[in-house]
Amino acid sequence: MNVLYVEDNRINAMVMDKMLSKNDSKVIIAENGSQALKVVKEKNLDLILVDINLGLNQMDGCELLKRLRKLDILKNIPVFAVTAYAMPGDKQRFISIGFDNYFSKPVDFDQLLSVISKIGAGSDKKQMI
Amino acid sequence: MSFTLEQFGILSEKTLLFLLLLKKDGKIITFNNRCKILFPYDKNEVTRKHITDFIIDEDVAVFKDAINSLSDENPIVDVSFSFPTKKNGLLALKFDLTLHNGLIYAVGIDTTEEYKEHRALMTISKLTKTGAWYFAPKNNEMYWSKGCYLIKDLDPKVPITREKGASFYPEESRNRVESYLDNLIKNKKPYEYTEKIITEKGNEKWIKVVAHPVIYKNEVVYVNGTIADVTDRHIYIEKLKHNEETKHLALKGIRSGLFDHLVEKNVVFYSVDFKKMLGLPLDQDFVPEEEFRKMIHPDDVDEALKRHLTNLKKDENHYYNHYRLKHLNGAYRHYEVHGFRRKDQDGNTTRMVGNLIDVQQRKLNERTIAESKNRLQAMVNNGFAYTVLLNTQGEILMTDEKSLKIIKRDFGVDPTKVTCRFIDVMPLNFKNTFAHEFNEALKGNIVKKEIERITHKGNLQWLESKYTPIYGQEQKVNSVLISFHDITEQKLAEIAIKESHIKEQELNSLKSNILSNFSHEIRTPLNGIMTVSKLLLGEKDPEERKKLLDYLEESKDRLLETINNLSNFSEIEAIKNNLNLKEVDLNYTVETSFREYKHMADAKNLLYRLELDQTCPQVCIDEDLFRAAINNIVHNAIKYTNKGSIIIKVHSKSSKNNVYISVADTGIGIDKRNVKKIFDPFMQESIGISRKYEGTGIGLSLSKRYIEILDGKIKVESKIGMGTEFNIIIPRSL
Repeated sequence: MNVLYVEDNRINAMVMDKMLSKNDSKVIIAENGSQALKVVKEKNLDLILVDINLGLNQMDGCELLKRLRKLDILKNIPVFAVTAYAMPGDKQRFISIGFDNYFSKPVDFDQLLSVISKIGAGSDKKQMI
Repeated sequence: MSFTLEQFGILSEKTLLFLLLLKKDGKIITFNNRCKILFPYDKNEVTRKHITDFIIDEDVAVFKDAINSLSDENPIVDVSFSFPTKKNGLLALKFDLTLHNGLIYAVGIDTTEEYKEHRALMTISKLTKTGAWYFAPKNNEMYWSKGCYLIKDLDPKVPITREKGASFYPEESRNRVESYLDNLIKNKKPYEYTEKIITEKGNEKWIKVVAHPVIYKNEVVYVNGTIADVTDRHIYIEKLKHNEETKHLALKGIRSGLFDHLVEKNVVFYSVDFKKMLGLPLDQDFVPEEEFRKMIHPDDVDEALKRHLTNLKKDENHYYNHYRLKHLNGAYRHYEVHGFRRKDQDGNTTRMVGNLIDVQQRKLNERTIAESKNRLQAMVNNGFAYTVLLNTQGEILMTDEKSLKIIKRDFGVDPTKVTCRFIDVMPLNFKNTFAHEFNEALKGNIVKKEIERITHKGNLQWLESKYTPIYGQEQKVNSVLISFHDITEQKLAEIAIKESHIKEQELNSLKSNILSNFSHEIRTPLNGIMTVSKLLLGEKDPEERKKLLDYLEESKDRLLETINNLSNFSEIEAIKNNLNLKEVDLNYTVETSFREYKHMADAKNLLYRLELDQTCPQVCIDEDLFRAAINNIVHNAIKYTNKGSIIIKVHSKSSKNNVYISVADTGIGIDKRNVKKIFDPFMQESIGISRKYEGTGIGLSLSKRYIEILDGKIKVESKIGMGTEFNIIIPRSL
């Protein structure tokens, strides 16, 4: 399955790529919001992972989510927040603005991979139907 | 021995008795010399005349009756009649008339003196309808004068007895009346009473009886009395009593009285209840003026007397006075006297009739009202800041002194002298709310409202206005009390609290922001470290492992930098308290920092230049602190500039007080939205496509804090894509 990861931290982006590649997912990295918006129009995606703090002067993950939600082609694509904002209340905050799931950094990959595999199964079923 | 005729003749001529011989019809036959004074004619002429020609008219019938009553069976009668004489006036004679052989022998005695008295009494008795009586207990003899018979409509010929006399009293009073006489005989004390009788003709009359004992050897031998027909007076008195009762009922309970003052006699008649109330004697109809004067309160007497005399002198007839009167119970009550004067022909007051009106309650009420008004005024003056009492028309009834002063000063009106509406004497901005709140209060609601005003001195003042409806009778609002309470201090304190609360909130949110950012900044490299570690475990390819180890190193550096900066940040308080201030040459200090980062700028091939001030500016600073601040800024400039220049300048601009340092780069710049935030701790200044540089925003925020500790200022100007310039001002001495 195709996963878009929007992340400005180079190392975090690369290690995510490595982790998900093991699970037969193809990871596309976008450094910021505008890149991400370009990618979603070109690629067929199954999941989008979004970092929240995308750097000074840049649209943040929340703004990006808003823009992604306006796109019809992404109607059924889950968008997860993957962020180092992990204070009490942060999870609730991001879920309430519309993220389908929330993963704090350092990322618990066991959990992330398990959720991704379920999505994969669901999408396979969809394809079969 | 018997009289000879001659002897008798001498006797008859020398006697003081009047002797007459009459025919049965009253013709005079002869008379003795004594009788000559009765007849103004010669004896011969007289003998041809009738006796009735010589007596007064009213006795003619009496005489005729007397001689007619003479008969052989009743040969003697006595009778009195009067002869007018030329010299001595009326002669009253009492005669014994004796019938003998058809002739009347008359023997008379001069009773003129007694008759005079009798005559006078008769007249009085007739005029006053009175009679006299006596009673002799020894033989139970009762005598009534003619007057008594007349009063009782009884024929005088009827012999009177005690029983007959008693029979005129109605049965219900008969025993009582009888007991009066018995008691008199027993107690030897006079009595008088007024009782009702029924006359012989059946008329109802009221009589007043007075009885007096005649005592001989300590025993009542004789009772003398009078009787008077007082029917007219009784009816009059009954009428008076009825009137009095009406007055009594009318005056009952109001503690007022009627008076009738006979000025000449100096006596006053008062209504009974009034006398009772004052403890004046009830048995006297009139009270002497002096007696009454004693009842007046000693403090009021002089004034009251003065008013009394003024009243008597004035032309107008109305009488007015007022004073306190002592009641039977010793307490004084206030009275007002209203009367009408009657004057004689000379204009002197003879009589005054009128009312004494008890005004005690009114006086008390007046005093209570005055007292509570004074109390209210005192309360108003000392209690609230400003207080105004309005009637339902919105007119000022009362204000405190301060408000009065303001109204007088600002509007030139004195509400205590002229009727004025409150709305006309208030600041313009009060009017709208006033009209609304006032109407609410008129409906019976208590209304509170805060208002702001500018005092005449130009200060802002907060007032809390409170509208309180005041109820009169029938539970209707009859006035509204408006108080303005100065709550400026309270309000200022509130604002200060609010501000400090906001500051506290800001601090709190800053604190949680710091924590949140700190957490974020730690978690970000930690994510790299942990994931790389995990990947390293399963990675065998040495090249990949090398790459992963580089990632690990980079993440580890960033984590360390974050933690270092954070510990600096937390030490600010400690720094403040341990400043090491020294006089230094700022040129030198800045140059040191410049050199420290030269290799970084050179590595990026940047134009890296320092321009120093020509005067070697001396400043008193903590050199380490300043260097840390400037280092951060220079480091930051190199970090975010990939091509172009970094220019650092020190210049004093001929200022005696300050030295200016600027650091200008041609780096990525910061957009307007974020330019203010760059000094916030943890604001991440790293940016951009390459993602080569990251770090906590704490660096710049530390620089700002350090410079501020040194009493300096730091400002930043930036244009995205064009570069950033920091300007620092450092005072020469702290």
